[in-house]
Amino acid sequence: MLSLRIAARFLRTSPVQSVLIMAGISVGIATQVFVGSLITSLQADLVDTTIGSSPQVTITAPEEGDPVVYNERVRSVVTADERVEPGAIAPVRTVSALFTDGDDSAPLSLTGGALADLDAIYELGERTTLGTARLDNGDVIVGTDFAEKHSLLPGDAIALVFADNQTVRARISAIVDLGAAAANERTAFVDANLPRTLAGWSVDEYSAIQTQMREPFDAADVAASWSSQLPELTISDWQAENADLLTALQSQSASSYMIQAFVLVAVALGIASTLAISAVQKTRQIGILKAMGLSDRRSGRIFLWQATLLGIGGTLGGLALGFGLIASFSFIPVPFSIRPEPAFIALSSAVGISVALLSSVIPTRKTSRLDPIEVIQSG
Amino acid sequence: MAELLLAAHELDKVYGSGDAATHALRGVSFEFAEGEFASIIGQSGSGKSTLLNLLGLLDTPSAGTVRYRGTDTGALRKADRARLRNELIGFVFQFHYLLPEFSVYENVAMPALIAGALSPAEIRSRAEETLGLLGLAGLEGKNANALSGGQKQRVAIARALMNRPALLLADEPTGNLDTTNTELVYDLFRKVSAETGTAFLIVTHDRKVAQRTDRVLEVLDGELVADERNRFLE
Repeated sequence: MLSLRIAARFLRTSPVQSVLIMAGISVGIATQVFVGSLITSLQADLVDTTIGSSPQVTITAPEEGDPVVYNERVRSVVTADERVEPGAIAPVRTVSALFTDGDDSAPLSLTGGALADLDAIYELGERTTLGTARLDNGDVIVGTDFAEKHSLLPGDAIALVFADNQTVRARISAIVDLGAAAANERTAFVDANLPRTLAGWSVDEYSAIQTQMREPFDAADVAASWSSQLPELTISDWQAENADLLTALQSQSASSYMIQAFVLVAVALGIASTLAISAVQKTRQIGILKAMGLSDRRSGRIFLWQATLLGIGGTLGGLALGFGLIASFSFIPVPFSIRPEPAFIALSSAVGISVALLSSVIPTRKTSRLDPIEVIQSG
Repeated sequence: MAELLLAAHELDKVYGSGDAATHALRGVSFEFAEGEFASIIGQSGSGKSTLLNLLGLLDTPSAGTVRYRGTDTGALRKADRARLRNELIGFVFQFHYLLPEFSVYENVAMPALIAGALSPAEIRSRAEETLGLLGLAGLEGKNANALSGGQKQRVAIARALMNRPALLLADEPTGNLDTTNTELVYDLFRKVSAETGTAFLIVTHDRKVAQRTDRVLEVLDGELVADERNRFLE
């Protein structure tokens, strides 16, 4: 460990130089941690906002309007798939209705299902702004914009007119904010039986089987796998329906990687040049140590150790700075918070130390090749 | 008769090649016993420092061999030569070449730290003993840069003696010192030689200095022209 001891001493006796290199590494790692975590969290928030409260893989009949028979075979394919979020399977029946209060009317798309199933997909309980989410016979849950436009409150009764002019009176149990104005104005939830009796379907017939995944980005694979197991049905996934969003996310990731990579290259060049200067400054000392019998390998290791120490110090500083930036970000009013991922932080740390080590290749080789006679003869 | 420590045989050193080739040494051969106290004398540019560098295994000859206790050093790998240098040879140069980043104690202990054969306690006691031998006790914690020229050179000598080498090679060791310190250093060399049995080979251009050693090897234009016992001392 003599090489380490000498390396540490060289660093300690050039404090300004050492601190500058470490600051360079710190800034690079902090940028990586902050930008990486920011983009990851931003994307997670974007994905969650877009598809977090909506079905991610949906099973329907090939012909629009036809029912899907939710039999044991379909049920076993869906429930046996471990990629499906536990509980997030909702067999639903949809039906169009016209709300009317005498002088005003508005179209509504009713989604009928069991409250627990719908809650797992649409987060009705969490999104309730007024009333209590309940879907007993005759209950309806409406969106905030719809309620506001027609001055409705929980407990109010509304009249719904269906295709055959049949009118059903329903009682508002809760008002929910679904996160999008269009949904808040047009979507309503009812119990599963109302649409069934209107359509004349049997108890195992549904408009669609809606599901959510543990990992939203598994949706395309899950859809492909279900398609092969249930070839007679149509399986759709959010990724296929939101190709533009995916392209945007990928472009954002690519630009984030570019920024991180260029910052690291700049850091590497900075460390390499400073270490190279340091190696030149210490030529005399290295020559003396070699004259005293320090081997080429051990003298080369001095700069490898210097790089390791600088890399560790700089990376720790960078992590502190990065977390500081993330913490300060919480004071900025944005609709999401940055959550640093441990795996990404570990990767950033490994990258920081590796970049430092890589930067020491030139000085290490130079030192290892130095002939002590060059120093002794030059005086 | 003392054991043979070093044998130089037909040493040649050529710098450059073709028309630009310079012969720094030509066919230098001599033997050197354990514990000898000798000097190499010659004018500036005569090749005496080149010879010292070859003997110190800091440089390799263009032709010829350097043997230490029978081992041909030319056949050794670079790392083995470095180890032999560490174990067998101590160097004192005209410039002290102390490591400014380290204390006096650390500078002196460095050859033992490189060797890695002694325990920390043994290194400490050996370093203190060596510093004491050179009259430097009490300066252990000082930075090497904070010493006077004479003290620095004595620290350099202490460092050269740390591994108890068989041979101490000194290249104009008093070149940068005043008369008083020069006297002091030679007295020390004699004292250390007598007390530790270390052989000394001192390169100098000063005949008066050479006359204080037991044997004088004279180099002229790269050739060994004289090798005689010092009659002055007889």
